[in-house]
Amino acid sequence: MAIEGATARPAVAASASRSVRQDVLALLNRWGWVKVLLFLVPACLLLMLYLVIPIVMLIVMSFYRSTLFGVVPDFSWNNYLHFLRNPMFPNLLLRSIRLAVTVTAISLLVSYPFAYFLARGTRRFRTTLLILVMVPFWTSYLIRTMSWLPILGIKGLVNYSLMTLQLVESPVEAFLFNQFSVVLTLIHIYLPYMVVPIYLSLDRLDGRLLEAASDLGATPLRTFWHVTLPLSLPGVVGGIVMVFIAAFGAYVTPKLLGGSSGIMFGNVLADQYSGTFNWPFGAVLALIMMSVVLVLLVVASRFARLDAVFGARA
Amino acid sequence: MEARTCPEASVRRLTGANCACYRTSPVSEFDLEFRNVTKTFGDVRAVDDATFQVRRGEFLSLLGPSGCGKTTSLRMIAGFDRPTSGEIFLDGQPVGATPPYRRNVNTVFQHYALFPHKTVVDNVAFGLRMKRQPRSHIAERVERMLALVELPGVGRRFPHQLSGGQQQRVALARALINEPTVLLLDEPLGALDLKVRRRMQQELKRIHREVGVTFVYVTHDQEEALTMSDRIAVMNHGRIEQLDTPAGIYERPATRFVAGFIGLTNLLRGVVEARNDRDVVVRIAGGARLRAETIDGAAAGAEVDVAIRPEKIRMTAVRPAAADNCLEGQVASFVYQGAATEYQIALANAQEVRVIVQNVGETWRAAVVPVGTPVYLCWSRGAGLILSDAAGAQPREPGDDDEAPAAERVAWR
Repeated sequence: MAIEGATARPAVAASASRSVRQDVLALLNRWGWVKVLLFLVPACLLLMLYLVIPIVMLIVMSFYRSTLFGVVPDFSWNNYLHFLRNPMFPNLLLRSIRLAVTVTAISLLVSYPFAYFLARGTRRFRTTLLILVMVPFWTSYLIRTMSWLPILGIKGLVNYSLMTLQLVESPVEAFLFNQFSVVLTLIHIYLPYMVVPIYLSLDRLDGRLLEAASDLGATPLRTFWHVTLPLSLPGVVGGIVMVFIAAFGAYVTPKLLGGSSGIMFGNVLADQYSGTFNWPFGAVLALIMMSVVLVLLVVASRFARLDAVFGARA
Repeated sequence: MEARTCPEASVRRLTGANCACYRTSPVSEFDLEFRNVTKTFGDVRAVDDATFQVRRGEFLSLLGPSGCGKTTSLRMIAGFDRPTSGEIFLDGQPVGATPPYRRNVNTVFQHYALFPHKTVVDNVAFGLRMKRQPRSHIAERVERMLALVELPGVGRRFPHQLSGGQQQRVALARALINEPTVLLLDEPLGALDLKVRRRMQQELKRIHREVGVTFVYVTHDQEEALTMSDRIAVMNHGRIEQLDTPAGIYERPATRFVAGFIGLTNLLRGVVEARNDRDVVVRIAGGARLRAETIDGAAAGAEVDVAIRPEKIRMTAVRPAAADNCLEGQVASFVYQGAATEYQIALANAQEVRVIVQNVGETWRAAVVPVGTPVYLCWSRGAGLILSDAAGAQPREPGDDDEAPAAERVAWR
């Protein structure tokens, strides 16, 4: 007995301490989860309120019927068929995609060299230039759009200069109220969205890698092609995604500067809500727009990890 | 390929499928040569009038504390920096302003600098791809290099999936695949833990033997330099203090700095009392006389240091017959290290001397001498070394005197 007791006691003590430790760990774990949840609750609520619920409502609404007396709950594919039967809508969608692609492409071509210069070329003017890039952000979107009127208008800066220099006889009207002015203005407005991510990815690039490439026999051009460009791809993809989404969904700029030829998908969509009050059809247009963006995100994720693109990963 | 005719005083050397003309003038026995190379950054002389040659196939270490100019020297060889004055010769040719990508020199970078977006194979193949070698040739060479660094089977992986030691091997393979005239290694083992570092030291030596390429190896680790190098250039403040074999550097340090930086050294300051062709007698504080081999520049009356390695001192309990080269003291403290015991001996003149005694007694009993025991420290005439202000490869300026305590501090670390 005595021997048994002597051997049993430490065992009991050990198991007791182990169970206590387990309890503490479990408690910690549980409290850990509580803490995690506490941190996530506000974001989850916001997501529910502003994203999940509205999207569910959109999907439900897209099957409703719009009558003269308001929106009637229903389950009909008519709204979708309306989109497909009327060639104006798909054409407008394609044109908007084309405009957004143009804006994105030109932004990229302008931004990459600039971001490169900012990150790797200069030290003295870096802060100044970065601030100059960001300044438009601090101005109202509307003002940035409207500012093109006195520049491109008939009595605007460009025409005035051309007239004064006697390069043209009468003011050029082709500057405003068409796709050109929309593309130009959208580039102006969304350029920072392209410059900043590319700048950040280039700034993060380890200079020793460039030295290593040079050391191994790569000329500066080939170093750029084999090292700099691939390693800045997350920034490039991030910029493309952000500028495309913003340009694709733009409707204020086309409305103000687009005239009739510069109308975009977003304008028709907005009209369904504020003009013709055909909310169910508006829901269809919104869902189609979202699908285009989703497709873009899927394609983008093939080229770069999206968590890297949006900075979650170094 | 049509046979190339080479100008006079040159020879055609076949390397693989290529043939090239090499000069056969006497300088080309050196793969690398510095002639009066100086590099200044603003007011700082990072490299100060460096002149040395590296023989073909040699393993040369540039050793020194941080900021001594060793990395700058390496960067100038690679072509990332240009000398302010002087000229660097690669394979007998002055490199001038040749950009890094046209120099037949490759570097193993301190933190490897592997391309994170490329697999191991693509990293190693990079150099050959830049030379637009045929695909099959590249594949075969990459495989050979990965076998050389003993890394088969990891080719598909990305650098971040490898351990530090493995990344190091990839960096080595990537640099060696171009068959450089000189391979530069910038503290390549600095980021590895001790055990891996030891193994990589042996690996590097093996690879050096196998490929026969000239290695220029930058390190601040004296032990690494001593064990691996054919010759060591000890650098300090941008100057090469001494360039010699590891044994030469350790046994006959030319300056106080070298004596203090490599291993432990006791420096005993004194005045030259007498000298002849054979011996110099130095009288140190407290009156004791030390005898050492004559060197140039230690004239009678000059202030010099006698440098003596702790392991070359004989420690005895009884007063020896000859009074020269013998000091009297007391054990102040000791550190028992197993195979040896390191004693701190307080001399009669209050200076302290470090002595390492091998524990070679035949029984376990006599392992240590307790603190407070009076002892006599003696060494043979050939063991002590006179370090004169005027001695050594580099003439020292008068203001340099204050460096002696600093060197001593390093020695006592």
